[in-house]
Amino acid sequence: MNVTPRYLGRGSWLSRRDPRVLILAIVLFVFATVQVWDARLAIVLFAIALLYYRSARIPWRAVRFNWLYVLVFIGFIVTTNTIITGGQLRETTGDALHVYFNLPLFGTPVSAESVSYAVTQLLRFLSMAAIGFPVAFAVAPGDIGVAFARLRIPERFAYAIDLTFRFIPSLAADVRTTIDAQRIRGYDYEKAGRGPIGRVRRTVPILVPVAINAIVGAEDTIDAMDLRAFGTHRRTWLRALVYDRTDRLVLGGFIGLFVVVTILAFNGASRLYVLPFLIP
Amino acid sequence: MATMQMDRSNLWDVSSRVIVYAAIGAALYAVTAPLSFLIPGTESVSIRPSFAFVTFFGFAFGPIVGLFTGLVGNMIGDQLSGWGLLTSWNWSVAIGLVGLLAGLTPTYLRSWMNDRGRMLAAAAIGSAIATIVGLLFVFTDIILGTTEDFNSALTVNYVPAVISDLVTVVILTPILVAAWQPVKEQLGR
Repeated sequence: MNVTPRYLGRGSWLSRRDPRVLILAIVLFVFATVQVWDARLAIVLFAIALLYYRSARIPWRAVRFNWLYVLVFIGFIVTTNTIITGGQLRETTGDALHVYFNLPLFGTPVSAESVSYAVTQLLRFLSMAAIGFPVAFAVAPGDIGVAFARLRIPERFAYAIDLTFRFIPSLAADVRTTIDAQRIRGYDYEKAGRGPIGRVRRTVPILVPVAINAIVGAEDTIDAMDLRAFGTHRRTWLRALVYDRTDRLVLGGFIGLFVVVTILAFNGASRLYVLPFLIP
Repeated sequence: MATMQMDRSNLWDVSSRVIVYAAIGAALYAVTAPLSFLIPGTESVSIRPSFAFVTFFGFAFGPIVGLFTGLVGNMIGDQLSGWGLLTSWNWSVAIGLVGLLAGLTPTYLRSWMNDRGRMLAAAAIGSAIATIVGLLFVFTDIILGTTEDFNSALTVNYVPAVISDLVTVVILTPILVAAWQPVKEQLGR
Protein backbone atom coordinates (compact mmCIF):
# COMPACT_ATOMS: atom_id res chain seq x y z
CA MET A 1 0.00 0.00 0.00
CA ASN A 2 1.99 2.99 -1.24
CA VAL A 3 -0.04 6.13 -0.77
CA THR A 4 2.75 8.61 -0.19
CA PRO A 5 3.23 11.37 -2.76
CA ARG A 6 5.78 10.37 -5.39
CA TYR A 7 7.71 12.99 -7.34
CA LEU A 8 7.97 10.87 -10.49
CA GLY A 9 8.09 13.69 -13.01
CA ARG A 10 11.13 15.31 -11.42
CA GLY A 11 13.22 17.16 -14.01
CA SER A 12 10.54 17.09 -16.73
CA TRP A 13 9.42 20.16 -18.65
CA LEU A 14 6.17 20.27 -16.70
CA SER A 15 7.86 19.86 -13.31
CA ARG A 16 9.88 22.99 -14.06
CA ARG A 17 6.69 25.01 -14.39
CA ASP A 18 5.38 27.07 -11.51
CA PRO A 19 3.12 24.66 -9.52
CA ARG A 20 0.33 27.23 -9.69
CA VAL A 21 0.21 26.67 -13.45
CA LEU A 22 -0.53 22.96 -12.96
CA ILE A 23 -3.29 23.66 -10.44
CA LEU A 24 -4.91 26.37 -12.56
CA ALA A 25 -4.57 24.19 -15.67
CA ILE A 26 -6.69 21.50 -14.01
CA VAL A 27 -9.36 23.98 -12.94
CA LEU A 28 -9.61 25.56 -16.41
CA PHE A 29 -9.46 22.24 -18.24
CA VAL A 30 -12.04 20.48 -16.05
CA PHE A 31 -14.51 23.35 -16.35
CA ALA A 32 -13.94 23.43 -20.11
CA THR A 33 -14.34 19.68 -20.53
CA VAL A 34 -17.57 19.29 -18.55
CA GLN A 35 -19.29 21.56 -21.09
CA VAL A 36 -18.45 19.33 -24.05
CA TRP A 37 -20.64 16.56 -25.47
CA ASP A 38 -19.46 16.82 -29.06
CA ALA A 39 -17.15 13.84 -29.61
CA ARG A 40 -15.09 15.75 -32.20
CA LEU A 41 -14.20 18.44 -29.67
CA ALA A 42 -13.74 15.79 -26.95
CA ILE A 43 -11.09 14.13 -29.15
CA VAL A 44 -9.26 17.46 -29.49
CA LEU A 45 -9.35 17.96 -25.71
CA PHE A 46 -8.15 14.39 -25.20
CA ALA A 47 -5.20 15.03 -27.54
CA ILE A 48 -4.30 18.21 -25.63
CA ALA A 49 -4.53 16.32 -22.32
CA LEU A 50 -2.26 13.53 -23.62
CA LEU A 51 0.30 16.04 -24.88
CA TYR A 52 0.25 17.78 -21.52
CA TYR A 53 0.55 14.45 -19.69
CA ARG A 54 3.50 13.39 -21.86
CA SER A 55 5.35 16.59 -20.98
CA ALA A 56 5.41 15.43 -17.32
CA ARG A 57 7.45 12.34 -18.33
CA ILE A 58 5.87 10.17 -15.67
CA PRO A 59 7.26 6.61 -15.98
CA TRP A 60 4.52 4.24 -17.12
CA ARG A 61 5.64 1.38 -14.88
CA ALA A 62 5.28 3.54 -11.79
CA VAL A 63 1.69 4.59 -12.51
CA ARG A 64 0.22 1.66 -14.43
CA PHE A 65 -1.88 0.57 -11.45
CA ASN A 66 -3.15 4.12 -11.02
CA TRP A 67 -4.21 4.10 -14.67
CA LEU A 68 -5.80 0.67 -14.24
CA TYR A 69 -7.83 2.05 -11.31
CA VAL A 70 -8.84 5.05 -13.40
CA LEU A 71 -9.84 2.88 -16.38
CA VAL A 72 -11.90 0.49 -14.24
CA PHE A 73 -13.63 3.39 -12.50
CA ILE A 74 -14.35 5.22 -15.75
CA GLY A 75 -15.52 1.99 -17.38
CA PHE A 76 -17.94 1.44 -14.52
CA ILE A 77 -19.32 5.00 -14.67
CA VAL A 78 -19.72 4.94 -18.44
CA THR A 79 -21.36 1.50 -18.48
CA THR A 80 -23.79 2.15 -15.64
CA ASN A 81 -24.72 5.58 -16.95
CA THR A 82 -25.40 4.17 -20.39
CA ILE A 83 -27.49 1.31 -19.00
CA ILE A 84 -29.39 3.23 -16.32
CA THR A 85 -30.32 6.15 -18.56
CA GLY A 86 -32.35 3.72 -20.64
CA GLY A 87 -31.61 5.49 -23.88
CA GLN A 88 -32.76 8.93 -22.65
CA LEU A 89 -29.52 10.59 -23.72
CA ARG A 90 -28.75 14.31 -23.86
CA GLU A 91 -32.18 15.40 -25.06
CA THR A 92 -32.27 12.53 -27.57
CA THR A 93 -35.29 10.38 -26.87
CA GLY A 94 -37.53 7.65 -28.14
CA ASP A 95 -38.03 7.59 -31.89
CA ALA A 96 -34.90 9.64 -32.64
CA LEU A 97 -32.66 6.75 -31.53
CA HIS A 98 -30.93 4.48 -34.05
CA VAL A 99 -31.33 1.27 -32.07
CA TYR A 100 -29.08 -1.77 -32.66
CA PHE A 101 -30.65 -4.04 -30.04
CA ASN A 102 -32.10 -4.00 -26.51
CA LEU A 103 -30.04 -5.21 -23.57
CA PRO A 104 -31.43 -8.37 -22.00
CA LEU A 105 -32.84 -7.92 -18.46
CA PHE A 106 -32.55 -4.10 -18.51
CA GLY A 107 -34.36 -3.56 -21.80
CA THR A 108 -32.15 -0.55 -22.45
CA PRO A 109 -31.75 0.22 -26.13
CA VAL A 110 -28.15 0.15 -27.37
CA SER A 111 -28.08 2.72 -30.14
CA ALA A 112 -25.77 4.89 -32.20
CA GLU A 113 -26.62 7.66 -29.72
CA SER A 114 -25.80 5.63 -26.61
CA VAL A 115 -22.48 4.43 -28.09
CA SER A 116 -21.58 8.02 -29.03
CA TYR A 117 -22.54 9.10 -25.52
CA ALA A 118 -20.35 6.39 -23.97
CA VAL A 119 -17.39 7.25 -26.22
CA THR A 120 -17.69 10.96 -25.44
CA GLN A 121 -17.97 10.36 -21.72
CA LEU A 122 -14.95 8.03 -21.84
CA LEU A 123 -12.92 10.72 -23.63
CA ARG A 124 -14.03 13.39 -21.16
CA PHE A 125 -12.99 11.37 -18.12
CA LEU A 126 -9.71 10.18 -19.63
CA SER A 127 -8.84 13.78 -20.53
CA MET A 128 -9.55 15.02 -17.01
CA ALA A 129 -7.56 12.16 -15.46
CA ALA A 130 -4.59 12.80 -17.78
CA ILE A 131 -4.56 16.48 -16.85
CA GLY A 132 -4.81 15.57 -13.15
CA PHE A 133 -1.89 13.12 -12.99
CA PRO A 134 0.90 15.73 -13.22
CA VAL A 135 -0.24 17.51 -10.05
CA ALA A 136 0.19 14.24 -8.18
CA PHE A 137 3.48 13.23 -9.75
CA ALA A 138 5.17 16.30 -11.23
CA VAL A 139 4.88 18.82 -8.41
CA ALA A 140 7.36 18.68 -5.53
CA PRO A 141 5.27 17.78 -2.44
CA GLY A 142 6.80 20.68 -0.54
CA ASP A 143 5.51 23.16 -3.13
CA ILE A 144 1.83 22.31 -2.79
CA GLY A 145 1.12 24.49 0.26
CA VAL A 146 2.99 27.51 -1.01
CA ALA A 147 1.31 27.16 -4.41
CA PHE A 148 -2.15 27.33 -2.82
CA ALA A 149 -1.05 30.23 -0.60
CA ARG A 150 0.17 32.14 -3.67
CA LEU A 151 -3.17 31.46 -5.34
CA ARG A 152 -4.71 33.72 -2.67
CA ILE A 153 -6.32 30.86 -0.79
CA PRO A 154 -6.54 31.89 2.91
CA GLU A 155 -3.10 31.33 4.37
CA ARG A 156 -4.29 29.11 7.22
CA PHE A 157 -6.10 26.87 4.75
CA ALA A 158 -2.97 26.75 2.57
CA TYR A 159 -0.86 25.94 5.59
CA ALA A 160 -3.25 23.12 6.53
CA ILE A 161 -2.88 21.68 3.00
CA ASP A 162 0.89 21.90 3.36
CA LEU A 163 0.71 20.13 6.74
CA THR A 164 -1.54 17.43 5.27
CA PHE A 165 1.09 16.55 2.67
CA ARG A 166 3.76 16.52 5.40
CA PHE A 167 1.71 14.17 7.59
CA ILE A 168 0.92 11.67 4.81
CA PRO A 169 4.27 9.80 4.70
CA SER A 170 4.47 9.32 8.47
CA LEU A 171 0.80 8.35 8.81
CA ALA A 172 1.10 5.91 5.90
CA ALA A 173 4.06 4.34 7.72
CA ASP A 174 1.97 4.20 10.92
CA VAL A 175 -0.83 2.40 9.05
CA ARG A 176 1.62 -0.16 7.64
CA THR A 177 3.23 -0.68 11.07
CA THR A 178 -0.16 -1.12 12.73
CA ILE A 179 -1.32 -3.62 10.10
CA ASP A 180 1.92 -5.60 10.53
CA ALA A 181 1.68 -5.46 14.32
CA GLN A 182 -1.90 -6.77 14.26
CA ARG A 183 -0.92 -9.54 11.83
CA ILE A 184 1.83 -10.65 14.19
CA ARG A 185 -0.93 -11.02 16.81
CA GLY A 186 -2.82 -13.26 14.38
CA TYR A 187 -5.28 -10.61 13.27
CA ASP A 188 -5.95 -10.08 9.56
CA TYR A 189 -8.31 -7.26 8.63
CA GLU A 190 -8.53 -8.56 5.05
CA LYS A 191 -9.99 -11.86 6.12
CA ALA A 192 -13.28 -12.33 4.31
CA GLY A 193 -16.61 -13.39 5.79
CA ARG A 194 -19.07 -12.10 8.40
CA GLY A 195 -20.64 -9.71 5.86
CA PRO A 196 -20.02 -6.01 5.27
CA ILE A 197 -20.68 -5.03 8.90
CA GLY A 198 -18.16 -7.62 10.07
CA ARG A 199 -15.64 -6.35 7.54
CA VAL A 200 -16.09 -2.78 8.78
CA ARG A 201 -15.67 -3.89 12.38
CA ARG A 202 -12.50 -5.74 11.39
CA THR A 203 -10.90 -2.40 10.47
CA VAL A 204 -11.34 -1.09 14.04
CA PRO A 205 -8.01 -2.52 15.36
CA ILE A 206 -6.27 -0.69 12.49
CA LEU A 207 -8.14 2.62 12.38
CA VAL A 208 -8.52 3.33 16.10
CA PRO A 209 -4.84 3.05 17.14
CA VAL A 210 -3.68 4.92 14.05
CA ALA A 211 -6.17 7.75 14.63
CA ILE A 212 -5.60 8.09 18.37
CA ASN A 213 -1.80 7.98 17.98
CA ALA A 214 -1.98 10.61 15.25
CA ILE A 215 -4.14 12.91 17.36
CA VAL A 216 -1.97 12.49 20.46
CA GLY A 217 1.14 13.08 18.33
CA ALA A 218 -0.47 16.20 16.88
CA GLU A 219 -0.26 17.85 20.30
CA ASP A 220 3.50 18.31 19.77
CA THR A 221 2.89 20.05 16.46
CA ILE A 222 0.25 22.30 18.03
CA ASP A 223 2.58 23.22 20.89
CA ALA A 224 5.42 23.93 18.46
CA MET A 225 3.18 26.20 16.40
CA ASP A 226 1.84 28.02 19.44
CA LEU A 227 5.35 28.51 20.86
CA ARG A 228 6.34 30.12 17.57
CA ALA A 229 3.32 32.45 17.81
CA PHE A 230 1.56 30.91 14.83
CA GLY A 231 -1.27 33.05 13.55
CA THR A 232 -0.32 36.27 15.32
CA HIS A 233 1.13 37.79 12.15
CA ARG A 234 0.73 37.30 8.44
CA ARG A 235 2.62 34.16 7.43
CA THR A 236 5.49 34.33 4.94
CA TRP A 237 6.83 31.43 2.89
CA LEU A 238 10.48 30.71 2.29
CA ARG A 239 9.86 29.27 -1.18
CA ALA A 240 9.43 32.01 -3.76
CA LEU A 241 7.27 31.31 -6.81
CA VAL A 242 7.59 33.44 -9.93
CA TYR A 243 5.88 32.89 -13.28
CA ASP A 244 8.34 32.86 -16.16
CA ARG A 245 7.42 33.51 -19.79
CA THR A 246 6.68 29.84 -20.51
CA ASP A 247 4.41 29.65 -17.45
CA ARG A 248 2.45 32.65 -18.70
CA LEU A 249 2.19 31.11 -22.17
CA VAL A 250 0.92 27.78 -20.81
CA LEU A 251 -1.55 29.53 -18.52
CA GLY A 252 -2.68 31.81 -21.35
CA GLY A 253 -3.18 28.73 -23.51
CA PHE A 254 -5.45 27.09 -20.94
CA ILE A 255 -7.42 30.31 -20.40
CA GLY A 256 -7.81 30.57 -24.20
CA LEU A 257 -8.90 26.94 -24.37
CA PHE A 258 -11.52 27.51 -21.68
CA VAL A 259 -12.88 30.61 -23.46
CA VAL A 260 -12.99 28.91 -26.87
CA VAL A 261 -14.65 25.76 -25.50
CA THR A 262 -17.23 27.85 -23.62
CA ILE A 263 -18.08 29.76 -26.81
CA LEU A 264 -18.32 26.48 -28.77
CA ALA A 265 -20.49 24.97 -26.02
CA PHE A 266 -22.96 27.84 -26.41
CA ASN A 267 -22.96 27.12 -30.14
CA GLY A 268 -23.71 23.41 -30.10
CA ALA A 269 -20.71 21.60 -28.58
CA SER A 270 -22.70 20.96 -25.41
CA ARG A 271 -25.13 18.79 -27.42
CA LEU A 272 -24.44 15.12 -28.07
CA TYR A 273 -22.82 14.53 -31.45
CA VAL A 274 -23.70 11.17 -32.94
CA LEU A 275 -20.72 9.74 -34.78
CA PRO A 276 -21.93 9.35 -38.42
CA PHE A 277 -20.28 5.95 -38.98
CA LEU A 278 -22.30 4.51 -36.09
CA ILE A 279 -25.65 5.29 -37.70
CA PRO A 280 -26.90 2.13 -39.45
CA MET B 1 -15.69 16.31 23.58
CA ALA B 2 -13.72 19.26 22.30
CA THR B 3 -16.67 20.64 20.38
CA MET B 4 -18.99 20.09 23.31
CA GLN B 5 -16.99 22.78 25.09
CA MET B 6 -17.31 25.10 22.11
CA ASP B 7 -20.04 27.67 22.11
CA ARG B 8 -21.45 28.95 18.86
CA SER B 9 -19.26 32.06 18.86
CA ASN B 10 -15.93 30.18 18.62
CA LEU B 11 -17.20 27.33 16.47
CA TRP B 12 -15.71 28.91 13.36
CA ASP B 13 -12.35 30.00 14.81
CA VAL B 14 -9.35 28.72 12.86
CA SER B 15 -6.70 28.24 15.54
CA SER B 16 -3.44 26.26 15.33
CA ARG B 17 -5.32 23.36 16.95
CA VAL B 18 -8.00 23.41 14.25
CA ILE B 19 -5.37 23.56 11.50
CA VAL B 20 -3.39 20.61 12.84
CA TYR B 21 -6.42 18.42 13.54
CA ALA B 22 -7.79 19.25 10.08
CA ALA B 23 -4.50 18.28 8.45
CA ILE B 24 -4.32 15.05 10.48
CA GLY B 25 -7.90 14.19 9.55
CA ALA B 26 -7.36 14.83 5.84
CA ALA B 27 -4.10 12.86 5.83
CA LEU B 28 -5.71 9.94 7.70
CA TYR B 29 -8.64 9.91 5.27
CA ALA B 30 -6.26 9.88 2.29
CA VAL B 31 -3.88 7.19 3.58
CA THR B 32 -6.60 4.80 4.75
CA ALA B 33 -8.70 5.17 1.59
CA PRO B 34 -7.16 1.98 0.09
CA LEU B 35 -8.75 -0.05 2.92
CA SER B 36 -12.05 0.10 0.97
CA PHE B 37 -13.75 -3.11 -0.14
CA LEU B 38 -16.70 -4.07 -2.32
CA ILE B 39 -19.86 -5.40 -0.71
CA PRO B 40 -20.04 -9.06 -1.77
CA GLY B 41 -22.59 -9.63 -4.52
CA THR B 42 -22.47 -6.06 -5.81
CA GLU B 43 -20.29 -4.50 -8.46
CA SER B 44 -20.49 -0.89 -7.46
CA VAL B 45 -21.08 -0.49 -3.75
CA SER B 46 -17.80 -0.24 -1.93
CA ILE B 47 -17.50 0.35 1.79
CA ARG B 48 -14.94 2.98 2.76
CA PRO B 49 -13.96 2.66 6.43
CA SER B 50 -11.86 5.81 6.05
CA PHE B 51 -15.09 7.79 5.58
CA ALA B 52 -15.65 7.52 9.34
CA PHE B 53 -12.73 9.90 9.87
CA VAL B 54 -14.73 12.68 8.23
CA THR B 55 -17.62 12.40 10.67
CA PHE B 56 -15.38 11.63 13.64
CA PHE B 57 -13.08 14.61 13.11
CA GLY B 58 -16.11 16.83 12.54
CA PHE B 59 -17.88 15.54 15.65
CA ALA B 60 -14.79 15.64 17.85
CA PHE B 61 -13.08 18.84 16.66
CA GLY B 62 -15.74 20.99 15.02
CA PRO B 63 -17.22 21.86 11.63
CA ILE B 64 -14.10 23.49 10.14
CA VAL B 65 -12.03 20.37 10.86
CA GLY B 66 -14.81 18.15 9.47
CA LEU B 67 -15.14 20.24 6.32
CA PHE B 68 -11.40 20.22 5.69
CA THR B 69 -11.05 16.50 6.44
CA GLY B 70 -13.72 15.60 3.90
CA LEU B 71 -12.92 18.17 1.23
CA VAL B 72 -9.13 18.05 1.19
CA GLY B 73 -8.85 14.41 2.30
CA ASN B 74 -11.00 13.25 -0.60
CA MET B 75 -9.19 15.49 -3.09
CA ILE B 76 -5.80 14.21 -1.97
CA GLY B 77 -7.03 10.60 -1.92
CA ASP B 78 -8.29 11.02 -5.49
CA GLN B 79 -5.03 12.66 -6.46
CA LEU B 80 -2.87 9.91 -5.00
CA SER B 81 -4.97 7.23 -6.71
CA GLY B 82 -4.52 9.01 -10.05
CA TRP B 83 -8.16 10.02 -10.44
CA GLY B 84 -7.22 13.69 -10.19
CA LEU B 85 -7.54 16.48 -7.66
CA LEU B 86 -10.61 18.07 -9.25
CA THR B 87 -12.04 15.39 -11.56
CA SER B 88 -14.79 14.71 -9.01
CA TRP B 89 -14.56 18.02 -7.16
CA ASN B 90 -18.28 18.02 -6.40
CA TRP B 91 -17.91 14.70 -4.52
CA SER B 92 -15.13 16.25 -2.45
CA VAL B 93 -17.41 19.17 -1.63
CA ALA B 94 -20.19 16.72 -0.70
CA ILE B 95 -17.90 14.81 1.66
CA GLY B 96 -16.69 18.11 3.10
CA LEU B 97 -20.32 19.04 3.78
CA VAL B 98 -20.78 15.74 5.61
CA GLY B 99 -17.87 16.65 7.91
CA LEU B 100 -19.20 20.17 8.41
CA LEU B 101 -22.68 18.94 9.34
CA ALA B 102 -21.26 16.26 11.65
CA GLY B 103 -19.28 19.05 13.31
CA LEU B 104 -22.44 20.99 14.06
CA THR B 105 -24.10 18.03 15.80
CA PRO B 106 -22.45 18.34 19.26
CA THR B 107 -23.17 22.06 19.43
CA TYR B 108 -26.86 21.67 18.73
CA LEU B 109 -27.27 18.50 20.83
CA ARG B 110 -25.10 19.65 23.75
CA SER B 111 -27.92 19.76 26.27
CA TRP B 112 -29.13 16.31 25.23
CA MET B 113 -25.69 14.61 25.39
CA ASN B 114 -25.46 14.49 29.17
CA ASP B 115 -24.10 10.95 29.51
CA ARG B 116 -21.71 8.68 27.64
CA GLY B 117 -24.41 6.52 26.04
CA ARG B 118 -26.26 9.50 24.66
CA MET B 119 -23.04 11.04 23.37
CA LEU B 120 -22.22 7.89 21.42
CA ALA B 121 -25.80 7.74 20.14
CA ALA B 122 -25.50 11.37 19.05
CA ALA B 123 -22.24 10.52 17.27
CA ALA B 124 -23.97 7.75 15.32
CA ILE B 125 -27.22 9.60 14.58
CA GLY B 126 -25.55 12.94 13.85
CA SER B 127 -23.08 11.26 11.50
CA ALA B 128 -25.87 9.38 9.74
CA ILE B 129 -27.93 12.54 9.20
CA ALA B 130 -24.83 14.45 8.07
CA THR B 131 -24.08 11.70 5.54
CA ILE B 132 -27.63 11.61 4.16
CA VAL B 133 -27.84 15.41 3.87
CA GLY B 134 -24.26 16.21 2.85
CA LEU B 135 -24.12 13.69 0.05
CA LEU B 136 -27.17 15.32 -1.58
CA PHE B 137 -24.58 17.60 -3.18
CA VAL B 138 -23.57 14.73 -5.50
CA PHE B 139 -26.74 15.44 -7.49
CA THR B 140 -24.68 18.24 -9.04
CA ASP B 141 -23.38 15.42 -11.24
CA ILE B 142 -26.51 16.05 -13.32
CA ILE B 143 -25.53 19.69 -13.92
CA LEU B 144 -21.91 18.73 -14.63
CA GLY B 145 -22.99 16.04 -17.09
CA THR B 146 -21.20 13.26 -15.23
CA THR B 147 -24.56 11.59 -14.75
CA GLU B 148 -27.28 11.82 -17.32
CA ASP B 149 -30.44 12.29 -15.27
CA PHE B 150 -31.96 12.24 -11.79
CA ASN B 151 -32.70 8.51 -12.00
CA SER B 152 -29.06 7.59 -12.67
CA ALA B 153 -27.78 10.08 -10.10
CA LEU B 154 -30.06 8.51 -7.52
CA THR B 155 -29.53 4.83 -8.30
CA VAL B 156 -25.88 4.85 -9.41
CA ASN B 157 -24.43 7.55 -7.19
CA TYR B 158 -26.45 8.74 -4.23
CA VAL B 159 -28.15 5.62 -2.85
CA PRO B 160 -25.10 3.28 -3.05
CA ALA B 161 -22.85 5.96 -1.54
CA VAL B 162 -25.27 6.73 1.28
CA ILE B 163 -25.88 3.06 2.11
CA SER B 164 -22.20 2.15 2.19
CA ASP B 165 -21.19 5.28 4.11
CA LEU B 166 -24.02 4.86 6.60
CA VAL B 167 -22.77 1.37 7.43
CA THR B 168 -19.35 2.87 8.06
CA VAL B 169 -20.26 5.94 10.07
CA VAL B 170 -22.89 4.32 12.27
CA ILE B 171 -20.41 1.63 13.34
CA LEU B 172 -17.08 3.40 13.36
CA THR B 173 -17.81 6.97 14.46
CA PRO B 174 -19.09 6.02 17.95
CA ILE B 175 -16.17 3.61 18.35
CA LEU B 176 -13.68 6.35 17.47
CA VAL B 177 -15.47 8.80 19.79
CA ALA B 178 -15.46 6.23 22.62
CA ALA B 179 -11.73 5.60 22.09
CA TRP B 180 -10.88 9.30 21.96
CA GLN B 181 -12.87 10.38 25.03
CA PRO B 182 -10.57 8.91 27.75
CA VAL B 183 -7.46 10.00 25.86
CA LYS B 184 -8.82 13.54 25.65
CA GLU B 185 -9.44 13.61 29.38
CA GLN B 186 -5.95 12.22 30.01
CA LEU B 187 -4.47 14.99 27.87
CA GLY B 188 -6.53 17.56 29.74
CA ARG B 189 -8.24 18.85 26.58
